[in-house]
Amino acid sequence: MATVSVPRARWSGRRSTLASVRLAILTFLADPQWLIPSMIAPIIFGFVSYELFLGSPDLIVYVILGAGMMSMWGQTLYGSGWATGQDRNLGTLEPTISAPTPYVFVVLGRILWNVVSGLIGIALVFVVVVAAMGTVPSIDNPLAFAVLFLFTMFTLAAVGTVFAAAYVYTRYAGFIQNVGEFAFYIGTGCMFPIIILPFWTNPIALIFPPSWALDALRYASIPGYVGFGWGMGWDIVGGVATTAAYLLIAGLVFERVERHVLEVGNLQEY
Amino acid sequence: MSFAPAIEARGITRVFQSRKGFFHQDVTRTEALRGVDLTVDAGEIFGLLGPNGAGKTTLTKILTTLLLPTSGIARVLGLDVTKDTERLRARIGLVLGGERGLYNRISARENLRYFADLYGVPVAERDRRVTEVLEWVGLTEAADRRTEEYSRGMKQKLHIARGILHRPEVLFLDEPTIGLDPKSARETRKLIRSLLGQGVTIFLTTHYMFEAEELCHRIGVLSRGRLVAIDTVAGLRDLVGGDRTIEAEDYGFEDAELAAVRHLPGVSKVVHEEYGPVTRLTIRVREGDLGVDAVRACLINHGGLQVRERRTSLEDVYLDLVEEEAP
Repeated sequence: MATVSVPRARWSGRRSTLASVRLAILTFLADPQWLIPSMIAPIIFGFVSYELFLGSPDLIVYVILGAGMMSMWGQTLYGSGWATGQDRNLGTLEPTISAPTPYVFVVLGRILWNVVSGLIGIALVFVVVVAAMGTVPSIDNPLAFAVLFLFTMFTLAAVGTVFAAAYVYTRYAGFIQNVGEFAFYIGTGCMFPIIILPFWTNPIALIFPPSWALDALRYASIPGYVGFGWGMGWDIVGGVATTAAYLLIAGLVFERVERHVLEVGNLQEY
Repeated sequence: MSFAPAIEARGITRVFQSRKGFFHQDVTRTEALRGVDLTVDAGEIFGLLGPNGAGKTTLTKILTTLLLPTSGIARVLGLDVTKDTERLRARIGLVLGGERGLYNRISARENLRYFADLYGVPVAERDRRVTEVLEWVGLTEAADRRTEEYSRGMKQKLHIARGILHRPEVLFLDEPTIGLDPKSARETRKLIRSLLGQGVTIFLTTHYMFEAEELCHRIGVLSRGRLVAIDTVAGLRDLVGGDRTIEAEDYGFEDAELAAVRHLPGVSKVVHEEYGPVTRLTIRVREGDLGVDAVRACLINHGGLQVRERRTSLEDVYLDLVEEEAP
């Protein structure tokens, strides 16, 4: 008698992350509301940024960095956390958690997509600003800029992962995010260098990895920039250290959060 | 050679705590499960029956690793539900059902592809398997439509399709026909029955007695967090006595008449219910030859009396068990 062998299902983190990216893209394309944060908001941020830095010798770089980073920050935070909140609303959190893949891989996929859609936002800002001002900005150190740009995205993703864990933990996570979002915009130096804020805000800002990365990015792109004053090298060190700490926290938090929700049984709440 | 049971639970309890208030928190403790012991054999359809709030969903979630028990041990396919979660999740399926639980802006096919990836259905097999299960649940034509356009019945079929996508060895179905129209409910039951032919062990919760009777090899009755009975349909009927029920209806009965019926030989229980002006006596007959004529003889003064005899249904048994457990 012929036997039919059925391959045993085995999950993989890479595949689950890619599946999550795919789902995020499909949802993005299917839902017109995403046009607002990803396409329209960056342009508005661009105009705000332009007005803010009018008169600065490096106006274009400030405008693009400020508006672009605000857009990416919003995408990463809002998108990563909100998507998990949406899982609660749709009732898909329970079936997703009941799959063998740890939920953190699903979150990772969403963050990847949100970073990419944030990039689309920054590209839009670039095109609009360059078209409006008629000149292409000159970057002081293009190679360092490219590397640090990717690093900044990575730091944003690290923060997004921690926020996503909060959404798994409680249905009230949206409250924290709504309250914190604009404070983070300012406090991490997305829009303008933190150094111009009152001194007491600086230590708080340094808790967040993007603050370091953004400062380093400005060193690489704006000639004569003086940020925190300790130079780009220490910014990178600080960024790497805080990002590592965030990823470690995210890993631990996710494990604890997944256990916690099984203890309290609130996965189906929305 | 010995075979491990597909599902084994010993002394499962689950307490939920809810808090109210901001500064001064009132904590309410609810005992959802109180020492549940249960064994389900491989290849069996086991039905867990119980009223709303009996603890059916809580037990299902514990067995499917979505909830931790407060105490007790549960094993599914020999794996501890609190420790071997990752390995176990790959081998079981869960159908929670209802309107929610699907990504509604994308198609059924895309929903299934996503979950196939999360479950690690082999890449080479994934799309074929998705098409196969969509066909099996009768959603081929609607496979590429957004699920937000689906009816409740179609969503339920898709939930089942998702539950079996990765070929689970044990499938948990939590109230799979609740809220469905009769046609969709019948189709869903047909799908569940056909799963048995594929060697899947099925753990089904329902509060529809006829559904459990129609589908299940064995039934457990859960009431107020306690498993009050567990047996085959025939065994459960025996448990509460007799296999026949006589119903008599008219506009009110005298106490003396009720007493006469209660004292008939073989009568184990008489339930007296009023439906507007009509009174119905449900008479449980344990043994002997007692028939409708004997009941008529006790209620001779009732010209419009209607008496009929039927088999004791699982509903009668279930109501008896649940009543006994009520405080």
